[in-house]
Amino acid sequence: GTTPLYPSPMTPMTPITPATPASESSGIVPQLQNIVSTVNLGCKLDLKTIALRARNAEYNPKRFAAVIMRIREPRTTALIFSSGKMVCTGAKSEEQSRLAARKYARVVQKLGFPAKFLDFKIQNMVGSCDVKFPIRLEGLVLTHQQFSSYEPELFPGLIYRMIKPRIVLLIFVSGKVVLTGAKVRAEIYEAFENIYPILKGF
Amino acid sequence: MPGGGHCPDCGSTELVEDSHYSQSQLVCSDCGCVVTEGVLTTTFSDEGNLREVTYSRSTGENDQVSRSQQRGLRRVRDLCRVLQLPSTFEDTAVAYYQQAYRHSGIRAARLQKKEVLVGCCVLITCRQHNWPLTMGTVCALLYADLDVFSGTYMQIVKLLGLDVPSLCLADLVKTYCSSFRLFQASPSVPPKYVEDKEKMLSRTLQLVELADETWLVTGRHPLPVITAATFLAWQSLQPSHRLTCSLARFCKLANVDLPYPASSRLQELLSVLLRMAERLAWLQVLKLDKRSVVKHIGDLLQHRHTLVRKAFRDGTAEMEAGEKELRERCQGPEQGKEEVASSSLDLPEGKRPASPTPLLPPCMLKPPKRICPPPPVSTVTGDENISDSEIEQYLRTPQEIKDFEKAQAARQAARSVSNPP
Repeated sequence: GTTPLYPSPMTPMTPITPATPASESSGIVPQLQNIVSTVNLGCKLDLKTIALRARNAEYNPKRFAAVIMRIREPRTTALIFSSGKMVCTGAKSEEQSRLAARKYARVVQKLGFPAKFLDFKIQNMVGSCDVKFPIRLEGLVLTHQQFSSYEPELFPGLIYRMIKPRIVLLIFVSGKVVLTGAKVRAEIYEAFENIYPILKGF
Repeated sequence: MPGGGHCPDCGSTELVEDSHYSQSQLVCSDCGCVVTEGVLTTTFSDEGNLREVTYSRSTGENDQVSRSQQRGLRRVRDLCRVLQLPSTFEDTAVAYYQQAYRHSGIRAARLQKKEVLVGCCVLITCRQHNWPLTMGTVCALLYADLDVFSGTYMQIVKLLGLDVPSLCLADLVKTYCSSFRLFQASPSVPPKYVEDKEKMLSRTLQLVELADETWLVTGRHPLPVITAATFLAWQSLQPSHRLTCSLARFCKLANVDLPYPASSRLQELLSVLLRMAERLAWLQVLKLDKRSVVKHIGDLLQHRHTLVRKAFRDGTAEMEAGEKELRERCQGPEQGKEEVASSSLDLPEGKRPASPTPLLPPCMLKPPKRICPPPPVSTVTGDENISDSEIEQYLRTPQEIKDFEKAQAARQAARSVSNPP
């Protein structure tokens, strides 16, 4: 026969998603430490002019082919290239990174260039947190060998390359964890929730 | 063919040089007659004299391999021989080098990188056979910078998708300890300093295991810990004559380099031993310090498992309890519970030492350098209005621009005076 449109009282509907998640959430939220973003100002720039007329600019063409500019709020650094492309680093949130990039674009505009604000994109996000217990890195590299690299002769931390989401984690013996490679904030949170139960096992 | 050679069989002048097996031959390209032979040995005679003929020599495959790669492969074999590795290691390392060379990024790399790649292939081979070769040794032999080595090593492991086991600590202890020149008297080693190799090895291994258990090894370079452990093992085997010898002097007379972190590892290891000594009834009364505890290392190692359990409590439990205590203290006065001291079986009430320290890595026991307050929650949307005055603070005034240009010109003039063309 056909299935009834409304369930009968004998077969009550149950919610599809459980009220409590299957595993306990860690209760720790990684803090964002650095955001790297890029934007295209859409016009060619004369770096010598910028370095001459801006107070907050540094330009050593022999060392690096870009102007290094800094602003105080949000506290960030920008690399401005003669092609008109710009990299903005140091912000603590996506919104701050965008605000900072807009301010750099305004500075360039006021210096006499027809700067636009095209294709703003967050390229990398770095977060960190502390699980507050020590971790046996030598044990972790044995059981998760396909994702881990631990070379104490080179670096004190274990480098964990998570596949889903595609995030790189630096795990230290003190329990501090650095997460990088994210394009969106949710990837950092997801990566940490994935690693926490693994770390608890060590 | 120049030189006017004729084939004795058919009289043709079309003679070509052909390298075949281990000799070069002059062969007539018309009738195939071998006109002259080079060296008077063939693979047959080589085998007869029990000399191995390598595959590459017999097939001329080296003709297809670039000179750069051939040089690299020779360097791999040389390095294996210098390190006196078993012959099977050589073949594996060579195979890795060839595998790496198939990638365009490696083929186009600088010579410095290709040289370092030689060391990487040998190191990976050793690690896979649990042969305790350190990166420091490889870099020293190649006169390479550890930074360059590190970059190439990480890249090649990822590129070839290799599983490289960790350095085996126990094997490293055996190899490293054996290199200490303390097992025979010499002009630099007085007789009281000479030690039995097996005794020293066994005690060093126990000390390294103790260091590993008490979080002194994880995250740190393995060698300095072993240096410190070797020193303590040696001192403790004859403390009356050796307590006056410092770590630096010990390494000098043993003809071993003293790694910089070794002194720090030594202090950490002594602290662990002191904590353990506090749990041993007949040592507690002696009020030991970092020097006198060395005399009792033998006893401490004998009972190390029990002592570590007694001297240290679970670090995780301690941290959680400590945080709970802090929260309770914030909520109400005099709420914090006293931490329960260890069992009273070993010592009487009055003489019980301070409550056990948590078993944690040293970096977690040190107070934080600066307390970072959590950043205030940001309300920035990114779409805020940007005022002109805020941007203008970053622009130079016309006067400033003039001054800057003047200063630049003056610097330019000064430069051209000091460097006349």
